[in-house]
Amino acid sequence: MNKLLVLFMLVTTALSAQDNYTLSGTIKEASNGETAFGASVFLKGTTIGVMSNEYGFYSITAPKDTYTLVVSYIGFNDKTLEITLNKNQKVDFEITEASTQLDEIVITTSESEQTSIRDPQMSVTKVKMSTIKKMPVVFGEVDIIKSIQTLPGVTNNGESSGGFNVRGGTVDQNLVLLDEAIIYNTSHLLGFFSVFNADAIKDVKLYKGGIPARFGGRVSSVLDVRQKDGNNKEYKFTGGVGLISSRLAIEGPIVKDKGSFLIAGRGSYAHLFLKLQKEEERTDNSASFYDLNLKTNYSIDQNNKIYISGYLGRDNINFDGGFASSYGNLSGNLRWNHIFNDRLFSNASLIYSKYDYELEFRDFEFDWIASIRNYNAKYDLKYYASDVLKLDFGLNTIYYGFEPGEINPTTDYSSINPLELDQKRAFESGLYLNAEHKITQNLTAQYGLRYSNFSRLGGQTLNNYENNQPVVYNERLGLYEEGTIIGETEYTKNETIATFNNLEPRLSISYQLNESSSVKTGYSRTAQYIHLLSNTSSVSPLDVWTPSGKFIKPQLADQYALGYFKNIKNNSYSLETEVYYKTVDNRIDYVDGSELVGQNAIETEILSGESRGYGLEILLRKTRGDFTGWLSYTLSKSEQRTPGGTAGGPGINSGNWYNSSQDRTHDISFTGSYSLNEKWTLGTNFVFQTGRPATYPDAQYEYEGVSVATFSDRNSQRLASYHRLDISTTYAPNKHPESDWKGEWVFGIYNVYNRKNAASVSFGQNKETGMNEATRTSIFGMVPSFSYNFKF
Amino acid sequence: MTTILRVTIISLLTLTTNTIFTSCTDVIEVDVPEAETRLVVEASIDWEKGTPGNNQSIKLSTTTPYFDQETNTNVVGASVVLTNNNDSSETVFTGQNNGNYTTTTFIPVLSNSYTLKIIYNGETYSAQETLIPVTDIIDVYQTTEKGLKDVLEFNIDFQDPIDEVNYYYFKIQEHADLLPTLLELKDEFTDGNLLSVYNERTEDEDINQVEYMPGDMVNVQLYGISEQYSTFIRLLIEQYNIDANPFGLTPVPIKGNCINPSNPEKYALGYFRLTQVVKTNYTFQ
Repeated sequence: MNKLLVLFMLVTTALSAQDNYTLSGTIKEASNGETAFGASVFLKGTTIGVMSNEYGFYSITAPKDTYTLVVSYIGFNDKTLEITLNKNQKVDFEITEASTQLDEIVITTSESEQTSIRDPQMSVTKVKMSTIKKMPVVFGEVDIIKSIQTLPGVTNNGESSGGFNVRGGTVDQNLVLLDEAIIYNTSHLLGFFSVFNADAIKDVKLYKGGIPARFGGRVSSVLDVRQKDGNNKEYKFTGGVGLISSRLAIEGPIVKDKGSFLIAGRGSYAHLFLKLQKEEERTDNSASFYDLNLKTNYSIDQNNKIYISGYLGRDNINFDGGFASSYGNLSGNLRWNHIFNDRLFSNASLIYSKYDYELEFRDFEFDWIASIRNYNAKYDLKYYASDVLKLDFGLNTIYYGFEPGEINPTTDYSSINPLELDQKRAFESGLYLNAEHKITQNLTAQYGLRYSNFSRLGGQTLNNYENNQPVVYNERLGLYEEGTIIGETEYTKNETIATFNNLEPRLSISYQLNESSSVKTGYSRTAQYIHLLSNTSSVSPLDVWTPSGKFIKPQLADQYALGYFKNIKNNSYSLETEVYYKTVDNRIDYVDGSELVGQNAIETEILSGESRGYGLEILLRKTRGDFTGWLSYTLSKSEQRTPGGTAGGPGINSGNWYNSSQDRTHDISFTGSYSLNEKWTLGTNFVFQTGRPATYPDAQYEYEGVSVATFSDRNSQRLASYHRLDISTTYAPNKHPESDWKGEWVFGIYNVYNRKNAASVSFGQNKETGMNEATRTSIFGMVPSFSYNFKF
Repeated sequence: MTTILRVTIISLLTLTTNTIFTSCTDVIEVDVPEAETRLVVEASIDWEKGTPGNNQSIKLSTTTPYFDQETNTNVVGASVVLTNNNDSSETVFTGQNNGNYTTTTFIPVLSNSYTLKIIYNGETYSAQETLIPVTDIIDVYQTTEKGLKDVLEFNIDFQDPIDEVNYYYFKIQEHADLLPTLLELKDEFTDGNLLSVYNERTEDEDINQVEYMPGDMVNVQLYGISEQYSTFIRLLIEQYNIDANPFGLTPVPIKGNCINPSNPEKYALGYFRLTQVVKTNYTFQ
């Protein structure tokens, strides 16, 4: 005990003996007061430096001396300051843009889009909205989700599918955060457009691996999207008119330099593109979406700042044929930044988010409603302990309410009886500590531990199955069937149905080889407690989220990665290469013939399996000059295996490893932007991907007067390769440089050579000829577009 | 009803995909794998209400490669015997040299269990099923309000027996059509109610299909089926009607109840079913 005390005192003395002082403050953009995330602050001639956090805060500690301090950030002029560090002090910086053009079309990209050689964080990509806005897109709708798919290791299931897949993972394995609120569905109109309105978004960061300990709950990736704070100097309007939608954002000060707001809205034009509308009577078909972003902040004093932000997005689809659907996300959050002292920064958040959908079946006289909602409380702290050690720590807890479905008759004479599937409730909590530690001049490590806990709460009844088998293999018929129910257990609201605890270590190490190159390696374990169930080829907005519990175990992933990073030619180019290997335990797979929709006992339709993935990723970026862009290549494999387990029998595909739907052997993307002159910018994308795994028939026979197909093993075949080329040009006339009004025209062509990429191939009997045939569905042929964007 | 939900959700997604965007479908050439040939058993012992049910026929054939246009896959020379599990009485089916095996001496007993045994090419196949009763069709009539407005559809009304789980199978054939329309239904959300099923046809130039017209004659058959057969036929119908769209179910092998006990991997496709059926015709006015 005494020895420990002495040791502690020694350490404390050793630390304070050095005469260190701390400089801290906030970095903001001069023109609008937006805080700068990821700006680098360093002392010239030393290796002491730090990146500003999500709220623009920095803290730097160094021995007493006189220094030149340099602040540098994305497309902004470097700012330097001579500083004599002889006491703790506070300095806020305002940085100015390097270009006088619209900030959305700044050509020189950024330090932070370059590879950060020293930072141990790997498998991460930050993309500025300015870069995303220059990429050619279908119908001219700027799309964050589509943009990140040009990065190595990121794919999706085709043009009409929602979400994205990271390193062979599934869509539900991505944690998508908008200002820290969980977004459950990232797309509008079934995947054609993303829910993020580009005018309201500040930046986007994607972690494909090496997920920091402060994030938890998903095993594949974290997409961290942050909304703009709003201009606190003057009122600004941003907007655009496109083929699909129009948008307008208003931002301005509430109290100058103290508080600001941002309101952004976007709406599609309904009744568009209705091909079926040729018949006069069929005029009620429509599809539309809208969304609304809101953010406001207020600085109470130097050490306290409040943020409120919200998002509402909704899709409405209506068919004259007798049904209608409506679905969307809703989120809101309240945050409080508090600076305890020049080394300790904190943020407390209260967050609500919800995803729901409704279906109305007019002909069958009933409707169907389902939702998932959560309340989330978080407290995160960052302690800048010394120039070599920074600590992140905090905790959070999420309450989930799942309403998997409710059926109600909509008329008095409806033949449907009302039914409500069991509501499910759960708590998910996390506690973490993470250190960023500069061990030697060249060796930096980030190590942390997350403890997570998941409690599935009572308040519902669960079936008990014979031999505890919800699914049973019928040896005689060679089929998986529902288990035999032998009774049920009622869990009261005070009871817990199941509890899971996991320790999730995270580690990454960077070793700097020289000024411009480094090697990094990392390991991470992540746990996921809620799962999206889907037995269709593409994720649809109507798939069902379900929590872990008595029958479903949490998914556990282990990922190992190794990378080489290099900045070339005076930081004009950067090269990032990584190899990874990951495994996921308890990956759910559905049995042949499963019925997931309207299913109260989901456990009778699924088996528990595992998945694994490995790959090589190469990203070459050019970040400076008239031409900027990147070339990415991924060589990868993603497989899964589902043995019979407790249900008995051979499992799915005889229990062998098989290609998961996300498997793409080769994935190549090229994205480029060339600035011809001040007025004209050209952009292009090229994408090539190995075709998606698919299941094809291997024989036919006659039964009940029709030709029936029999099918080979799941995913044993592939669709044809996917490829396309897009081009765009941006024209910013800027006729009156003095005027506040800045406008630009964007013209684009998606899929220039009109490739018919298969979204799916289905097999069936032609009703007229009786012959079997294969039918390909392709979504977008060549699509020209234009839009006009403005700002004043 | 789950089927309705499922099918409607798929249709919703398909329609959105197809209608709202520039998506298109086309028939393409695809190389498909070829599985080994299997025996196909179409043993549908259907007892029409109000008839003696003594005449029955079983059809045996084999699978062919998926795009093959060979139609003569009849299996001749098999031995086909049906056993009443209650009294062990046997009914022998006689081969007609065209893949059909017939009898005139079958005695149908509702809710009775039967075993089918087939010996072919040295392999023995067997299957067990129960004869399931069916409720009556109350009414068949036409309307235009359901589905697309001002488009003719016909409705079938029937009373679902209360407090028991019932599974139904419909086979609908318009006389001029090449192929029938198949439908499976469970009373999961509608137990004990008066049920109504409608069938409508939309115009489709690709397959020369037009809406129902006055004068069209439709044959409707309503079968009472077992839970196990409902699983089989539901999957078969879902996969048969699979629309060209990315939200379709991932297709899976469909296994019936005809097993090969001594060589399980060599099971037969198709199904041995025993049903009671009611049939009626309707002519659009």
